[in-house]
Amino acid sequence: MQNKLSFHQSSVSLEIIGLPDYSNNENKDQISIISQWKLNIIDKPLIEGKIEHLGPIMNAFYIYSNLLIKNEIPLFESKLIDIKADNLHIHNIVLKSSKPDVKPLVLKIGNSLLSDTINCFDQLNESPKVRIKKTNITSNIPKKLRFGLNKKVKLFNFFIPPFIAICSLIAFSYSIIYFNNPFENIEKKELISPE
Amino acid sequence: MRRSYVSNNIKLNEFDALIRITVEMSKYLYPYIREILKSKEDIEENSVIWNDFNKRFIELIKERFNIDSMRVKKLLNQAENDEIIIKSLLILSFCISNQGYQKLKNFLYDF
Repeated sequence: MQNKLSFHQSSVSLEIIGLPDYSNNENKDQISIISQWKLNIIDKPLIEGKIEHLGPIMNAFYIYSNLLIKNEIPLFESKLIDIKADNLHIHNIVLKSSKPDVKPLVLKIGNSLLSDTINCFDQLNESPKVRIKKTNITSNIPKKLRFGLNKKVKLFNFFIPPFIAICSLIAFSYSIIYFNNPFENIEKKELISPE
Repeated sequence: MRRSYVSNNIKLNEFDALIRITVEMSKYLYPYIREILKSKEDIEENSVIWNDFNKRFIELIKERFNIDSMRVKKLLNQAENDEIIIKSLLILSFCISNQGYQKLKNFLYDF
């Protein structure tokens, strides 16, 4: 008999099905061996998968929500899931099946459903009854976003002030030379007093 | 940014306390925050909620903030303040879990 746990937040519910790890002396209502999970978003197709898909999908949502807030490019791409912003209010999710000949599932969700989903994942993470293996978050970030997470703006700000300083120094030097050409003055002096 | 003649720097414990209060209020107000976010998604159908919220937000800013400050003027400009309001509401809606205090603190440090 498998255990079933549900986490609800407004229009989203997350169901976890699995068994306790009896070899670890766990209670019978605990879930450590997850066999199936279902993410149900109202008015959207049901999302379900195996345990190996749950961690990457949760990480994708967390990373995407962080990018959205931190004014980075709101785009997450991986083998399993792509999330990108259509605009400030609508997010485009593409779930790619690991099975061949299965078309990717495309969902459009708004900010309200995105926050409901994140809160369902938070409830799962904080639940003492479910134990899920923590996956390394940084390893799932696409390469083109890693640079973004390393404070792209800070690097840009680091190089811009000296660049502007050098440009302004050159511009000032040229303008001073234009008004007061030292070679011209020497030539004039030579013309006034030819010796 | 506040309309005040005294410029006291906030202490660390006061900053922590404010974050805790904000997280607790977000938990309580989550259904309202959610509805405001949703109203902006389909503005043609639910424009009343967003307009009411925006109107009250601007009223409060005018009442309590120094409106001569450029940053406050940006908050009052309806063409520009949408993004700031949406992101602020999103941050609050992401921080209603038990770990919300730590999440909000991280968001604020990175902002």
